[in-house]
Amino acid sequence: MSETLDLTLKVWRQPGPDASGRYVEYKLTEISTHMSFLEMLDVLNEQLNEKGEEMIAFDHDCREGICGACSLMINGQAHGPDSGTTTCQLHMRRFKNGDTIVIEPWRARAFPVVRDLVVDRGAFDRIVQEGGFISANTGSAPDANSVPIPAPVQETAMDAAACIGCGACVAACKNASAMLFVSAKVSHLSTLPQGKPERDSRVQGMVAQMDLEGFGNCTNTEECQAACPAEISVSNIARLNREFLRAQLCSKE
Amino acid sequence: MADTANTVFNSRVPDGPMAEKWDRCKQEMKLVNPANKRKKKIIVVGTGLAGASAAASLAELGYQVESFCFQDSPRRAHSIAAQGGINAAKNYPNDGDSVWRLFYDTVKGGDYRSREANVHRLAQVSNNIIDQCTAQGVPFARDYGGLLSNRSFGGAQVSRTFYARGQTGQQLLLGAYSALMRQVGTGRVTLFPRREMLDLVVVDGVARGIIVRNLITGEFEKYSADCVLLCTGGYGNAFYLSTNAKGSNVTAAWRCHKRGAYFANPCYTQIHPTCIPVSGDYQSKLTLMSESLRNDGRVWVPGAQGDQRRGNQIPDTERDYYLERRYPAFGNLVPRDVASRASKERCDAGYGVGSTGQAVFLDFRDAIARDGKHTIEAKYGNLFHMYKKITGEDPYQVPMRIYPAVHYTMGGLWVDYHLQSSIPGLFVLGEANFSDHGANRLGASALMQGLADGYFVAPYTTSNFLGSQNLPEVSTDDEAFTEAMANAQDRNSKILGVQGTRSSDSIHRELGHILWEYCGMSRERQGLESAMGKISDLREEFWSSIKVLGQGEQLNQNLEHAGRLADFLEFGELMVRDALVREESCGGHFREEHQTKDNEALRDDKNFSHVSAWEFTGVGNEPVEHREQLEFIEVPLATRSYK
Amino acid sequence: MVTKLAEKQQSSPSTGGKSATKWIMTLLSSSIGQKFVMGITGLLLCGFLVVHLAGNLLVYVGAEAYNGYADKLHSMMLLPVAETGLFLLLFAHIALAIKLTRDNQQARHISYQEPQSKIEEKPSLFSQTPMGNTSGWMFISGSIILAFLVIHMIDMKLHWNPGVDYSIETPEGVVEAKPYSIMVQVLGSFTAPFYIVGTIVLGFHLSHGFSSAFQSLGLNHPKYTPLIKKLAILFAFVIAAGFASLPIWGFFIH
Repeated sequence: MSETLDLTLKVWRQPGPDASGRYVEYKLTEISTHMSFLEMLDVLNEQLNEKGEEMIAFDHDCREGICGACSLMINGQAHGPDSGTTTCQLHMRRFKNGDTIVIEPWRARAFPVVRDLVVDRGAFDRIVQEGGFISANTGSAPDANSVPIPAPVQETAMDAAACIGCGACVAACKNASAMLFVSAKVSHLSTLPQGKPERDSRVQGMVAQMDLEGFGNCTNTEECQAACPAEISVSNIARLNREFLRAQLCSKE
Repeated sequence: MADTANTVFNSRVPDGPMAEKWDRCKQEMKLVNPANKRKKKIIVVGTGLAGASAAASLAELGYQVESFCFQDSPRRAHSIAAQGGINAAKNYPNDGDSVWRLFYDTVKGGDYRSREANVHRLAQVSNNIIDQCTAQGVPFARDYGGLLSNRSFGGAQVSRTFYARGQTGQQLLLGAYSALMRQVGTGRVTLFPRREMLDLVVVDGVARGIIVRNLITGEFEKYSADCVLLCTGGYGNAFYLSTNAKGSNVTAAWRCHKRGAYFANPCYTQIHPTCIPVSGDYQSKLTLMSESLRNDGRVWVPGAQGDQRRGNQIPDTERDYYLERRYPAFGNLVPRDVASRASKERCDAGYGVGSTGQAVFLDFRDAIARDGKHTIEAKYGNLFHMYKKITGEDPYQVPMRIYPAVHYTMGGLWVDYHLQSSIPGLFVLGEANFSDHGANRLGASALMQGLADGYFVAPYTTSNFLGSQNLPEVSTDDEAFTEAMANAQDRNSKILGVQGTRSSDSIHRELGHILWEYCGMSRERQGLESAMGKISDLREEFWSSIKVLGQGEQLNQNLEHAGRLADFLEFGELMVRDALVREESCGGHFREEHQTKDNEALRDDKNFSHVSAWEFTGVGNEPVEHREQLEFIEVPLATRSYK
Repeated sequence: MVTKLAEKQQSSPSTGGKSATKWIMTLLSSSIGQKFVMGITGLLLCGFLVVHLAGNLLVYVGAEAYNGYADKLHSMMLLPVAETGLFLLLFAHIALAIKLTRDNQQARHISYQEPQSKIEEKPSLFSQTPMGNTSGWMFISGSIILAFLVIHMIDMKLHWNPGVDYSIETPEGVVEAKPYSIMVQVLGSFTAPFYIVGTIVLGFHLSHGFSSAFQSLGLNHPKYTPLIKKLAILFAFVIAAGFASLPIWGFFIH
């Protein structure tokens, strides 16, 4: 295995939200295979700064795969080629010497580009505001063990709750649909007994906001599931559909 | 050294028996009538566990809350990365835990450098946190009967840690975030993401607002309020390499310090023993491997110096299980500070492994042989997976390589029992304050403290503040706002104006090297003194040769970084000074001059049983040290021993 | 948006329901509701396909069986009603497909340079398409099927195929040709290749659509879903092979 790589990068550069963007090609040499993908971009940015070019803007924060800030469409794949992995955890040993890597921002009408590779994912927050919670004011909670929750139910909720809100599902979906994100939150809360009282208003509110934000529809392609770094399952989408139909057909609202 | 001002500290700890202090304090608090709450505005900076929980709880009470964070969404605050768990004195496992025992363990674990009354309150409200989070839908692990499951963590003798797989921080933060978003939905919280706080506005001696930069447009914005809550986390990124998120910074706290808030015990930094080692100069951050790994993994180095064989090729007779050797009673489960220093000692002595020699082995061979691969996979599968992803090595086959890394900072802005800083109206919560962990934090206590402050302490104490003050109206046109805004703008344009040759990354790395070398796991006078000079030189270099391209009126991540770095360069000096003045070893602060014959930390309770709270007197000027004497009545002073 | 929720919370939830039309409109205007209708109509059309294929396969039994079946069917009183229903199903299915596809194109207004699938295990050969899954061209396959349906209607309903004698001269005068005869003629005419193409594309369409409909209706279960997915492939194959066998048979008997 070669220890260093020479690479060609094609990076989407866009100075601002309303400016037009284009791909710019950069050459990088002697990239250690132990680097993470973002460290490789750090190296490029250092070189750009030295040359007097503005650095490439990209979102990142925890760099350990949990905050959901990093994004990037790498060679047409959300978070790059590995499954269950965020861009910050992707390492350069995954690439070959001489590779050309195309780096694009998440593309969706609901995620407008802010600059270069940075997009605005505020739509997700606005969806959560419309019901992605359990109304339990501070101080009003009963003892934590007062309602037993069977371990399998808890596990199902936890599987869904693992969503990191990165938006890879939207990015990977050919329709830029946010169904996996919304379904993960709805599943997490609606499978738990604590979440049952608000299950109808939750799903109705969140789906209405999702539609309002301009995300596409789910065509059951399952690309979202494959791209999801938290490995959220599309069975949650079925649950979301069920919850939504139940709420529409059975609730009094 | 620095002058010690003889200020009499009023930490406002209530009188009475320890167990009644908090109740008594609450009874004496002033209330704000519901109609007036609507008129009171509160600024909360930061949306981690402390910030999100405080903002949500205050909004539930009826206040108008404005919530700020530099991330694109409040859900990304770095609390999200906590893995292990959250402590509470529920005693569900019936193994003898109690509020008192949690309190005792925390004071002792903090090496007797925390304020007893604060720690006791923390232990008291710990149970309410678990109830609150469960009600919000946090999916804590459960037994097959459906009741909550606990594990022992960080060497505690009782199982008091609640957890949600290896993602407890994430789940707790998402719980607080959802409560916050609910309040945003009702209109009681206004959210300001991608805003960086760049100054505190103090009017007539009271914190009345903040200046922020909108990171998207680059515009500076002024916000006024009746009080300000700072929940902006720790300063571990001063070291450049740490387990903190890349964006974590000291800026907001430091700017408050410059406005008069005392900074307490900045030298107390926690170096976590189990992190993935540095692999090269390009390294941008370090990744923590949960402490729980030490429950089953054995830590060792080769018995011979410079042994370059792979871990699994070294026979048992040529291995040195140094933690088990030095601490037979606790073995691999000694507290973080002890474990970290022990690995540094071995590596410094030339026994370290890997290409850099700055790593030790954490080996699961025996655990796999004992419990089977399946059991180990069930417990640590996700961590092993993460390790493999980052290093390309399979920990089921070869031992993990680990090394200590900066993880948490116990120091922070000084606060009284009400979590109010030395500036009235400025409250400091979570990791940003200094109060509860003393000189060393126990595992699974950071989440507990953040949520205790946000859910159960600040809502009471800020209400009391608002109820007992008759604050005049303040407008953002006030002179103080104009001055603070000009100050923040000026600093930014200065950075952009240098147009030098060095990148912020390169200067930040250099600062990190200085701090790690001289103010890291072990410190000594000479090194600290030379570090002071080095940092101040580096600061000068920053202001003469920093190179930030682009403009201020747009998203400019390089400018953000440079601004934060400028503050770290000022803060770093204070950290070193604090380490220099504290002539003892305690918790995360280890002075080589102060150790026992067997190289264990030697505390000096007679002279250093106090909090050092520093007052800012100007960049490069000597700050004034104020001391808050600590009293240990409930938990008598004793030497920590893990032998 | 903020005020929307605030208002919702202020109004008491128990004070009466929404008017009937309002909630139906909400359902039908929502993304999930529309997918629900797509799924339902699709599954009902699948039901039609089964019946239609079963009837058509009677040609293999013989002209009499086939003509008997056709006569009985055409003499049913409810046939116009059923046909109208079928037409409405098809119309809803197509209209919604157009609307959803347009929405989806707008949702991803700028496309990627070269999107690549991350799905590792492709369920079948059908999935080896540009975006990695049959759903990527449901609209295209649907359009081809629609074009085929037009031809099929011209042949069988409107009787406009110039290569087919729809009436025959008998001693008693000109009478309508028997269904069997029309069918055999159509399958031998120049439109026959369209029948092969149309039914194979239909198979592709079904291989995704059938299981997808279950997902859209919220019917997903770890035990049954894998089974449904396999069943969908089988179903698609049977339908496609069954229908496609007719023009092939037609080719050989000529």
